[in-house]
Amino acid sequence: MSHARGSFGRQLRSDLRLLFGRPRTIALLAGLAAVPLLLAIVLFVAQNSGMAGQGPGFIGRVTGNGLFLVIAALFLCLPFLLPLTVGITAGDAIAGEAQTGTLRYLLTLPSSRSRLLASKALASLAFAMAAVLLIAAVALASGGAFFGLTDMTLLSGSTVGLAEGMGRMFGVALYVALSLTGLVAVGLFFSTLTEVPVGAMAATTIVAVVSSVLDTLPQLAAIHPYLLTHHWFDFAEFLRVEVNWSVLGSGMLVQLGWVAIFLSLAWGRFTTADVTS
Amino acid sequence: MSAPAIRTEGLTKRFRSGQVAVDGIDLVVPRGAVYGFLGPNGSGKTTTIRMLLGLVRPTAGAAWLLDEPMPKEGGSVLPRVGALVEGPAFHPYLSGRANLVRLDACDATAEAGTSRTRIDTALERVGLTAAAKKPYRQYSLGMKQRLGLAAALLRPRELLVLDEPTNGLDPQGTREVRHLIRELSAEGTTVMVSSHLLSEIEQVCSHIGIMGRGKLLAQAEREALESDDDVRVAVTTTPDHVAEAAQVLEALGLLDVRVDGVELHARLGETPPESVSAALVRAGVDLVGLDVRRRSLEQLFVELTGEGFDVAR
Amino acid sequence: MTSTAPARRNFLRSPWVVPIAVTSAVAVSLLSQPLFASGDSNDLPDVTADQLVTQVLDAKPQAMSGTVVHTARLGLPDMLFTEATGADPISLLGGSSTMRVWTDGVDRSRVALLGTMSEYSVVNDGPEAWTYSSSNDEAVHYSFSDADLARLKTMGEQARVEATKKQAELPTPQEAATEALARVGEFSTVRVDSQSTVAGREVYQLIVTPTTDKTLVKRIVLSIDGETKIPLRVQTWSTQDDTAPAVEVSFTDVTFGMPSESVFGFTAPAGVTEREVVVPLPQNDGAVKGSGSAHEMPVVTGTGWGTVVEFKDLDVAALLAKDPSAMTGSGERIIGSEEAQKMLEEFVPEHSDGSGMDMGVLYDQLTTKVPEGRLLSTTLLSILVTNDGRVLVGAVPAETLRAMA
Repeated sequence: MSHARGSFGRQLRSDLRLLFGRPRTIALLAGLAAVPLLLAIVLFVAQNSGMAGQGPGFIGRVTGNGLFLVIAALFLCLPFLLPLTVGITAGDAIAGEAQTGTLRYLLTLPSSRSRLLASKALASLAFAMAAVLLIAAVALASGGAFFGLTDMTLLSGSTVGLAEGMGRMFGVALYVALSLTGLVAVGLFFSTLTEVPVGAMAATTIVAVVSSVLDTLPQLAAIHPYLLTHHWFDFAEFLRVEVNWSVLGSGMLVQLGWVAIFLSLAWGRFTTADVTS
Repeated sequence: MSAPAIRTEGLTKRFRSGQVAVDGIDLVVPRGAVYGFLGPNGSGKTTTIRMLLGLVRPTAGAAWLLDEPMPKEGGSVLPRVGALVEGPAFHPYLSGRANLVRLDACDATAEAGTSRTRIDTALERVGLTAAAKKPYRQYSLGMKQRLGLAAALLRPRELLVLDEPTNGLDPQGTREVRHLIRELSAEGTTVMVSSHLLSEIEQVCSHIGIMGRGKLLAQAEREALESDDDVRVAVTTTPDHVAEAAQVLEALGLLDVRVDGVELHARLGETPPESVSAALVRAGVDLVGLDVRRRSLEQLFVELTGEGFDVAR
Repeated sequence: MTSTAPARRNFLRSPWVVPIAVTSAVAVSLLSQPLFASGDSNDLPDVTADQLVTQVLDAKPQAMSGTVVHTARLGLPDMLFTEATGADPISLLGGSSTMRVWTDGVDRSRVALLGTMSEYSVVNDGPEAWTYSSSNDEAVHYSFSDADLARLKTMGEQARVEATKKQAELPTPQEAATEALARVGEFSTVRVDSQSTVAGREVYQLIVTPTTDKTLVKRIVLSIDGETKIPLRVQTWSTQDDTAPAVEVSFTDVTFGMPSESVFGFTAPAGVTEREVVVPLPQNDGAVKGSGSAHEMPVVTGTGWGTVVEFKDLDVAALLAKDPSAMTGSGERIIGSEEAQKMLEEFVPEHSDGSGMDMGVLYDQLTTKVPEGRLLSTTLLSILVTNDGRVLVGAVPAETLRAMA
């Protein structure tokens, strides 16, 4: 279908409009955006009370420098809220269309199954990116508003200027967003297995949670480096005196492996599946 | 004569559960026909339609749409085919129009520039222009069905496959659908329309196929199915003459004589109807009424499938 | 007709071939990585063990940087160390820890112990040193008194470097190897094993075996970079465990060349007050080993690997209360095994703040009650705290200590 290629952008735009115009998506994004805002308010209220300085070290630093709110918010969202929301969107991508029955009409338009899958994959990825960047942006804004932005003290004890600090925060957000690509692919695969979106959403979220649990078992140390979530918190690399790019690179490589496997599985499944919904 | 619009050979679908939904059917839908695809619910109509459209892969056999093999050539054939499968399905929170915009945008072969015109025309054609901006979830069943038809008519089609298009429509809506089918047919579009309610589409069909338990039980032009030799006669008499009348009918050589109160039913066979009335009068039977009935499609259907309509297995 | 029936399709034309191929490709590339990383090689010129030892000891220190993974399998309960929040040197006692190392090859270096969202940094900048812990945002500044500084200036470079480099440190392959090789000849035999690859570099492997069987140390395997003769990996094997080294400290990636200047300096972050610690300069110029201190000298029994050190009148309670002075001066290089020495140091908390570990609880969990007192037994080191306040430490089986008590 060589004549079909020209209009892929049109389909992708349509999928993006469908996803981001959906009340549920907007609610999810609003919920995620509320995390840094609430965190800022809580820290602001508690900063002069006995609760100040509790929790991981970098959270205590937020009150001194709003830039750290970006780290704190992403740190809080990454273990569960981000996998959950990414699971909801990616798990819904195909299964949702199957459940409403619109899948059969898309396919008889025709929209080829590969194209449809590619468009859905990119739209789900766009959501993951938007979610992370939104958290980072709201964190930066509310961190600046409540606590001010200033030079940043790294985990190594060195201090970098505000501009470099902002750049490093952008790096963190970008790394976190790209770290979710593997989960997007997993979600997409589950989405091709079922006509019940909730099942695919739950399965995707569970994969992320199980991966985190396995990552804490020392008996499984041999497989840890290949786990979906193992390198997620390597974004801390942006907070060290010398960013080790090979650490970040291997994190991305693992994501690439998961993306390759699960996208190809999703493709294999979706292009052969009977659409009976 | 050109190749049929739809053709299948030994088309079979066995689901993973082991259930054989479609069992080796050979469909032929000639170009220009309005093909009534009939059968009770669960007889395999929808699965057949899904296989024709490439949604479900056949276990065995092959299908051609507009002389192209399916599902291999779906990319080039399906743009010329409009479809309504198992009822309409749209995103509930989008308006009717937005749903059509979405479908049009996802059509790999549709031209973006003329999208607006196409959508307006389709909405106009099914009479939804006024309600186009309302969210789909607020539509009545009839409006939903119309929107489904509008989607099938987004582009000029050579073939329309309409699965249960009258489902949920009131009598007025059903009439409108019939009118639409006639109109499309007159324009040269081949229409395959499935239903479990024969009466709703019978009048518009030029061809009929009857499905039952996954098999194609009969397939022919409508006249051929109706003008069978199997003509029946119904005689109404007075209570005193019932026994007498029955003797007369049997003496005439009529088959399957059945008495039902003051009514007698029998198959005419070779006997001309006028000789029945003459013989009854001659025998002094009070003849209250005499009715000659050709077998209806409905009776044929009941005989073939062994069940009435609306019976789900 | 059958040719179009999917059920009879040639498998190779099925779309499932793609995911199967992709999955295999990913699996192969992942699985093959460790093979390349530590595969056998045989491209280096042959050397004898003695030649290699000399080469290592004479090797010119290199400016380099890299990542070091420290793995301890001491037989201590793993869960104890997961309680530590953030990067804390105590985590070196169990499981794997990752460190990043930079050195200029002379007297400036930085070693950073990495936690998930934390870091413990040790910065050596000539006569000054700092530790910084991000978990509690605490900086410690180590320096000499003015008198010692003046004396330092009069030393030769070699002696000066020797005198300053032990102020603060985390274990790296170089440190571990130097300790292991110091005892070669006197108490150990040494031989060359097959060549290998560590951190992508071809290495010689040198096996140091204690001549005595009184120690818990079975052997120490050093992997020496073939080109620079810098140790890249040190494995210490215990007699208690044949399956894996009890302690392994190894580069996983290494780059030779001068690191960026920015890593060697340290300025306390705004709002952080440095805790000042004045370190006494050793009296005998440059000779750190065995140097005494104002404190009471411990009793040393045995020699080499089988050495047992006995501390008298040690205030265990004060130690547990994190009072470093309770052991000041005792933490010198007097214990047979360098790894054992390291461990002993780990038990001496360097910073007296609430970093999440309760030493008292840790002490109770780690030690077991024996008739003689309380015993800590690991695969490399035994410590016996007797009921009458003596502490016996040695890289020897627990029975040896109990017999001596």
